[in-house]
Amino acid sequence: MKKIIAIAKWEYLEKVKTKTFIVSLILTPLLIFVFSFLPTFFASKEENRTKVIGILDETQIYFKKLSSALSTYKLPDSQPQYIVVNLFKPNLLIDTIKSRANNDVLNNTLEGYLTIQRAENDSQIVEYRSVSVANFADLKRLETSFNEVRRREFLIQNNIDTTLLAGINANVDVTQITIEEGKESKADFLTKYMTTFVFLMMLLLVVVGTGGLLIRSLVEEKSNRLIEIIMSSCNPDQLLFGKVIGLSGLALTQVFIWTLVGIAILGNTLPTIISFENIILIFFYFFFGFLFYTAMFVGFGSTVTTEQEAQSMTSYLTMLVIFPIVLAIPALQNPDFTAIKVMSYIPLTMPGTMILRINSAQIPTWEIILTMTILIVSTYLMIWIASKIFRIGILSYGKRPSFKEIFSWVRQK
Amino acid sequence: MLEVINLVKEFNNTTAVNNISFKVEPGKIFGLLGPNGAGKTTTIRIILDILKPSSGEIKFSGKKIDQNFQNITGYLPEERGLYKKNKVFSVICYFAELKNIETKKAHQLTDFWLKKLNMFEYRNRKVEELSKGNQQKIQFITAIVHNPNVLILDEPFSGFDPINQQEIKELILALVNEGKTIILSTHQMELAEKLCSEIFLINKGLEVISGNLNDVKRKFGTKNIKIEYNGDATFINEMDEVVHLDLYQNYAEVQLKQEAYPTNFLRKIVERIEINNFSVLEPTLNRIFIDAVSKSKGEL
Repeated sequence: MKKIIAIAKWEYLEKVKTKTFIVSLILTPLLIFVFSFLPTFFASKEENRTKVIGILDETQIYFKKLSSALSTYKLPDSQPQYIVVNLFKPNLLIDTIKSRANNDVLNNTLEGYLTIQRAENDSQIVEYRSVSVANFADLKRLETSFNEVRRREFLIQNNIDTTLLAGINANVDVTQITIEEGKESKADFLTKYMTTFVFLMMLLLVVVGTGGLLIRSLVEEKSNRLIEIIMSSCNPDQLLFGKVIGLSGLALTQVFIWTLVGIAILGNTLPTIISFENIILIFFYFFFGFLFYTAMFVGFGSTVTTEQEAQSMTSYLTMLVIFPIVLAIPALQNPDFTAIKVMSYIPLTMPGTMILRINSAQIPTWEIILTMTILIVSTYLMIWIASKIFRIGILSYGKRPSFKEIFSWVRQK
Repeated sequence: MLEVINLVKEFNNTTAVNNISFKVEPGKIFGLLGPNGAGKTTTIRIILDILKPSSGEIKFSGKKIDQNFQNITGYLPEERGLYKKNKVFSVICYFAELKNIETKKAHQLTDFWLKKLNMFEYRNRKVEELSKGNQQKIQFITAIVHNPNVLILDEPFSGFDPINQQEIKELILALVNEGKTIILSTHQMELAEKLCSEIFLINKGLEVISGNLNDVKRKFGTKNIKIEYNGDATFINEMDEVVHLDLYQNYAEVQLKQEAYPTNFLRKIVERIEINNFSVLEPTLNRIFIDAVSKSKGEL
């Protein structure tokens, strides 16, 4: 036990001081932030310049109303969002107007222009022409405004009271509430998505980070034969547990610091972004998942001798951990999907998948107990297998062993 | 006393160590000699409990070795290496703590040895900043920092300049005088000849020769004698103890039988010819080794 502590202390203290660790400490939350917040941030960010938009209304019914409808959109500094230009000239052919307008768009004097044509059955064809595919928000506004104007016009034409329109247009959002035993709670897809995503990213980065450190430290010790001195001072199990404990400490330090940073930055808004109701369960899967993957890294990592082999080994193992993240969105949308249920029973994909499922649906208690049992047992087995491979792996240099050889190591008593 | 008893180690289909036994007494340097790939390192790894033997056992002070044995052994492997990015002081302390030394005591011992080997100024430097020779010294300290009873040195002088070699040699001899059990593994026979009092020659996993160095020399060395003389020396050829004679005008080279004693031979010839010069050519361990290895090859 004393030796395990000595090894854990060494792995922890010497690595906590390294630049790699400090950089990853800062870089990782930054990455989580970039990957999770930034796309939504950009997508929802308003453009802050006024756009000139042309309207070619061949019907000559909608222009006025449409332009006044569009003028209700304001920029944050209360400048109008759109300046609308009437392109219709009674004395010019439509094609001439269009080709002029095309030139204006190409010369950037116009952002783009809308054409309104009459079509069969009293309907209209509306097209928007611009250099690039239009901003999603712009197009949406044009569409909404046009339809509003069209509806109103339709009612007027049919002599129906336009005040009814507000009533017709009123939209009711459906609020989601998930049912749990004894209580109901408001569920917000975004909150759940964020929670899941943050935990999956943390699991991924912690596993890959520590796994990488672990393999690199083993490769260093193997390549300069330090391993021989170490093995003449302790047994392989002590080394394995020492390393795993030390590096887990490192991972916990990371998670702890990130949590503190998260609380410091987000403060009171944190509960609205992260849902904490399943935190204990999440931490359970997180912790055992971490142990499971780390043991896997230790076992297979002990078989490599060179830096290159270490890198390819790390990337294979990383892919296994990433897999559930790829499935995050489909799993959240359809938590009862069979493949996802199956994956939550396979130890390799379980930790991630269960974190996903816990956040998206109420999972029967028996399933939670069953998966927990599977995870605990398989973590234990993985540690056992890893220690078997480790024992021989750390002392074999040169050619990377085949799976057959590794299997024979596991069977050796 | 360290005893190796009927040690066998098999890897898959090859036998790396084939039923070898020897005893290492404290206060002496025991030479484990052999060419590359002979099974020296495997033997050492088994003694250090890095590898488990296929059969046979290791005893220390009459008891089978256990977990605690690792704490009283020190090991300087042939291929050197240390944590390059870490500080000299913490690296040495780590290895001491791995030998179950308390942290505080480890710090004291580390400083003691750094001072003793004039390395104290490098205490807080990173290992990679040191010269190669100094890194080797640090490595040597890691092997002895915990004051081990059993010390296993694999090619201890490789990588040292002559001055450091001298320093390390004196250190090893001091440890011998303290009564430590020391195994020196090398393929440099001259070195073994100077330092070891007991030797064990291993080749292809098998014992070739073992025992006290002088006995080995006496037993396995061909005895060559040079004589400068006046008179008729042809009679030497007929003597029982002579294997071969090269006769010149006033000079002869005689090869005696293994069991013959040069002194007796001299006594016999001195009566018949006038001896101007008589010398026994000591066989080198190198010669013995090469002969023995080629002989064992011939047998196979």
